[in-house]
Amino acid sequence: MSNAAAARTFPKKTAWERMKKWFRILWQQRALVALCLLPLAVVILFQYVPMYGVLIAFKKYKPKRGVWGSAWLDPWYKNFQEFFNNVNCEHILLQTLKVGVFSLIFTYPMPILLALMLNEVKSKWFKRSVQTISYLPHFISIVVICSMLNTFGSLDGLFNNLRALVGLPRVNMNAGTAFFMPMFIGSAIWQGVGWGSIIYLSALSNVDTSLYDVANIDGANRFQKIRHICLPAILPTTTVVLILNTGNIFTQDYTKILLMMNETNRMDLEVISTYVYRMGIQDGRFEFATAVNLFVSVISLILVVGTNYVVRFIDPEQSIW
Amino acid sequence: MSTKGHLSGKNRIRVGGVAFDTVLTILLLIFCVIILYPFLHVIAVSLSSSRMITRGAVGLIPQELNVKGYEIVFSKATIYTAYLWTVWYALLFTVLNVSLTSCLGYALSVQEFKLKGFFSVLMLITMFFSGGTIPAYLNIRNLGLMNTTWALVLPGCVSAWNVFMYRSFFKGISHEIREAALIDGAGELRILISIVLPLSKALIASFSLFAIVGMWNSYFSALLYIKDASRHPIQMILRSIVFTSNSMGSSFGGDANVMLTNGTVNPLNVQYACLVATIAPLLLIYPFIQKYFEQGMQVGAVKG
Repeated sequence: MSNAAAARTFPKKTAWERMKKWFRILWQQRALVALCLLPLAVVILFQYVPMYGVLIAFKKYKPKRGVWGSAWLDPWYKNFQEFFNNVNCEHILLQTLKVGVFSLIFTYPMPILLALMLNEVKSKWFKRSVQTISYLPHFISIVVICSMLNTFGSLDGLFNNLRALVGLPRVNMNAGTAFFMPMFIGSAIWQGVGWGSIIYLSALSNVDTSLYDVANIDGANRFQKIRHICLPAILPTTTVVLILNTGNIFTQDYTKILLMMNETNRMDLEVISTYVYRMGIQDGRFEFATAVNLFVSVISLILVVGTNYVVRFIDPEQSIW
Repeated sequence: MSTKGHLSGKNRIRVGGVAFDTVLTILLLIFCVIILYPFLHVIAVSLSSSRMITRGAVGLIPQELNVKGYEIVFSKATIYTAYLWTVWYALLFTVLNVSLTSCLGYALSVQEFKLKGFFSVLMLITMFFSGGTIPAYLNIRNLGLMNTTWALVLPGCVSAWNVFMYRSFFKGISHEIREAALIDGAGELRILISIVLPLSKALIASFSLFAIVGMWNSYFSALLYIKDASRHPIQMILRSIVFTSNSMGSSFGGDANVMLTNGTVNPLNVQYACLVATIAPLLLIYPFIQKYFEQGMQVGAVKG
């Protein structure tokens, strides 16, 4: 009865009226819309237009005709077919997977370890100093890092000085592939460990200190406190970072690999993204390179969704969505 | 977990604690040495004589002081124009980045804004999908931006991540202030400039610095889009000096060539001098700005 009364006094607004009201409010907010216009124009022009440009992976691209006007390939998956039939395809995919997986395995735990260690430091001053120093390499460019690697690995370089110190012969570490992985991953750790630890440290600083007091009363030692208080505190963060990093397995820092390549190892070090660069920018095979890149993007997306699914399966609370 | 602890005597816990702290301190000190050593080594080598470098005798301290490497690097106009271009790219990028991001971030932070949801989704999508290198390259080419400053500064200047950081920071500012200002007749732009931004100095400082450092360090978009070598940023200069060392002498002209061949100057002198020239501006300001970086990262860490 009360429902009927309410309906009489406040008749339900029609869709038209609701839309009119919505637009009236939007008109009042036109200053806010105006603020958004310029930034959104930039986003559409430089992010959405290239997304649409991915279509050329299925087309015979003619710049004059534009993306839409160019003719479709026959069959539409011709570029993908060509990539998978390529003799180098298997090698490139394997190399990509190798670099990605090893990078993940070795770089991922380091910031966690550093954060746990820093969290145990009692002297505020010492902790701050170590932190400040540890962030420093993060602000160094890829070109500088690779310049260091290149010169340190040369015959007169630092790495060879160290080798000579322990009696090993001097070798040019930049040539060939023998030293690529340790140099690539080692420098990534050196550069990222301090910066990566910030996110874990801030998770650790949110731990209720009374937990430590309780653990002390229970007589827990340092390792037990780390195991039972600190690790659970950073678990959600570690999971999120793991999921995001897994998505990057196929898209490693190719600008760095490009700089570490030289005549002696170019073919062996080729990964998908450097291949895309070589095919697309250097050889001008835009459609083919875009197709290869699209393949990687799809795999990366599947990896993120897949990892998230596995995490959700194990513990629903830790997954990103 | 707890019963085992009771059994061990109080003394043992203390001794264990001291050992633990000592080992921890030593490990962290070694860590600091590993982080700092390459920097100091590069500076030392850049200032050492060719003879000592070849002998592998240079560690942390310059041996037989030699500044020829710096003389060669700074004798060419290239490095000065590269500095100027890099500063120009970095400043323009930072101004655009901060102003555009705060406009969008502010609008999205207004609770009753009708297009808030739609625009947020529009930004969110760019976090998960992107066209990739080639379509982006073709886009810049089609827009006629090759060889222009815009090709470097525009594509990355509004990023979803930054917009969401700004939005959540602005949300923390009491919305009553905004309403009061609206009643007093202030427009949205006025509120953003005179009220919201002054209250967000820490945020603006951090993100400006991220932008400056990001631009200072970038080389790949210059490699793609700037064909005219006289407009190359500093990272591209370093790249050409270190990675094409056989042509180094010729790129610096006769004098340098003579010194390189007769052994007065080691190629490493020149390469490291250029390396120092590239990172010195950042290293010099690092102690002063380090605090803002951390602030910025923490804004990200809390939300992320």
